[in-house]
Amino acid sequence: MRRSAGLRHFLLSWLEPLSGVVALAVGWQIASMVAANPTLVPPLQTIWGALVDLAHGDLVNDIVASLFHLAGGFGTGAILGLLLALLCARFELVAAVIDPIAEFLRPISAIAWIPIAILLFGVGQGVPMFLIFYASLFPIFVNALDGIRRVDPTLVRAAEMLGASRRLVVTHIVLPAALPAVFAGARLSLGVGWVAMVAGELVGADTGLGYRIEYFQEFFSMEGVMATIVVIGIIGYLLDALLRLLQSSLLRWSPAHGGSR
Amino acid sequence: MSPAMRIGLPFAVVAIVLVAWEIAVRASHTQGLVPLPSGVVHSALALTEDGTLFSALGSSLERVVIGFAIAAAIGIPIGLAIGTVPVLDRTLRPVLDGLRGVAPIAWIPMAILWLGVRGDAALFVVAYAAVFPFILNTSEAARRIPRSLFHAAESLGAGRLLLIRSVVLPGALPFVFTGARIAMAFAWGSIIAAELAIGIKVQTARRAVAGIGQLMVDTLYVRRDVDALVLYMIVIGIVSFLIDSGLRRAQARLMPWTQR
Repeated sequence: MRRSAGLRHFLLSWLEPLSGVVALAVGWQIASMVAANPTLVPPLQTIWGALVDLAHGDLVNDIVASLFHLAGGFGTGAILGLLLALLCARFELVAAVIDPIAEFLRPISAIAWIPIAILLFGVGQGVPMFLIFYASLFPIFVNALDGIRRVDPTLVRAAEMLGASRRLVVTHIVLPAALPAVFAGARLSLGVGWVAMVAGELVGADTGLGYRIEYFQEFFSMEGVMATIVVIGIIGYLLDALLRLLQSSLLRWSPAHGGSR
Repeated sequence: MSPAMRIGLPFAVVAIVLVAWEIAVRASHTQGLVPLPSGVVHSALALTEDGTLFSALGSSLERVVIGFAIAAAIGIPIGLAIGTVPVLDRTLRPVLDGLRGVAPIAWIPMAILWLGVRGDAALFVVAYAAVFPFILNTSEAARRIPRSLFHAAESLGAGRLLLIRSVVLPGALPFVFTGARIAMAFAWGSIIAAELAIGIKVQTARRAVAGIGQLMVDTLYVRRDVDALVLYMIVIGIVSFLIDSGLRRAQARLMPWTQR
């Protein structure tokens, strides 16, 4: 009895999400039949064919290029954001200088930088990388600073009393305590960075998944556009899932891994 | 740090940076390549005088508001449905997460094909970007309503509709409003992206309705005016700041019992 209940539960846990995906696919297929125009709404088998073609051709290069942009931009943005947050928390003067600049730049979205980025870096890898860097800088900076300022001062004092050096305090107390907030910021900025990346590649690069959409559009291959959209959706979903997994496994000790925007 | 310094220092820092910038650009003779602070002021005066900036801003904002309204009309019901019916949540969640993973701007070619370049394609991108914050926050809000409220209303004989109208909606409202704030920020960001992408597409054809994104493309490729580009960026920043602080204030006033 119990065994069949477990099996039923297992089957349901797979069937339910699957049925949503199937419903979406069926809906799309019906729409494509109604439209009766393979350019307007490419039927699923055509999209699948384009996906297979893409997988035999440039797909791997595109994904690698996009992930390279993402890693470069996100990495530099996260490191700079974290460093600035540490400096701002430590020196009041630095905070007084950085804060107004950050508050001024923050409302200007990464997207708004696209024309200037094209002008500065030319069409190429520089544009998406810079956009991702810019998009990830502020969420990480703001959240990290918030997290660092909320570190329990008694912990720091206790460590200092026990003879911990400044460096030890930072690496063993301040950073771990601020980690949940930093992670919340990282997830936010990866989401924003992903969007900025596709936009940047679409208008200002010659590699990556965003560029591939632009490329297919030039040739009016809408099934190619749709295939690329599917790939972008899957990778975007996987990235967020990966970060969520990392968050819950690294921060298992933390009562609330929340943060603020 | 004294209060006077706390207020004065940021201004002093910004002023020093701007002056140093101006001197550096003039000294290196890179005007026209690198934006010049005085040039930005100059183009601000010129562009506000002939009204280009305001009409572009107006047509962009109009699309943002319409796209935002569409997103709310679609997103809030979906959010309420998956927040109150667990089966729907389990079936639809992966689809929604997958769709959310697609950057809205990636839909541009399809949107242009479906709706045309005239502005409706940008509208699609805006609504797509703004719908997910509505869905996520509304469903989260509906889920957080204490079960006891449901049971109390049900035991007093409330039907499903009454339950939604008088328990779910008021309880969820503050959360939904936070979602609306995020959605608005997304909408404003993506209208610029959409207009940029569309503007680059149809650069040659003269456009009837040009938003601020198209104006930027024009400035970048036709007039090559760096100072105006920086001005547009600052305007974009000011608008998003005004939108966000306005919505925050509205939230504090309409729903004083909420913290955020």
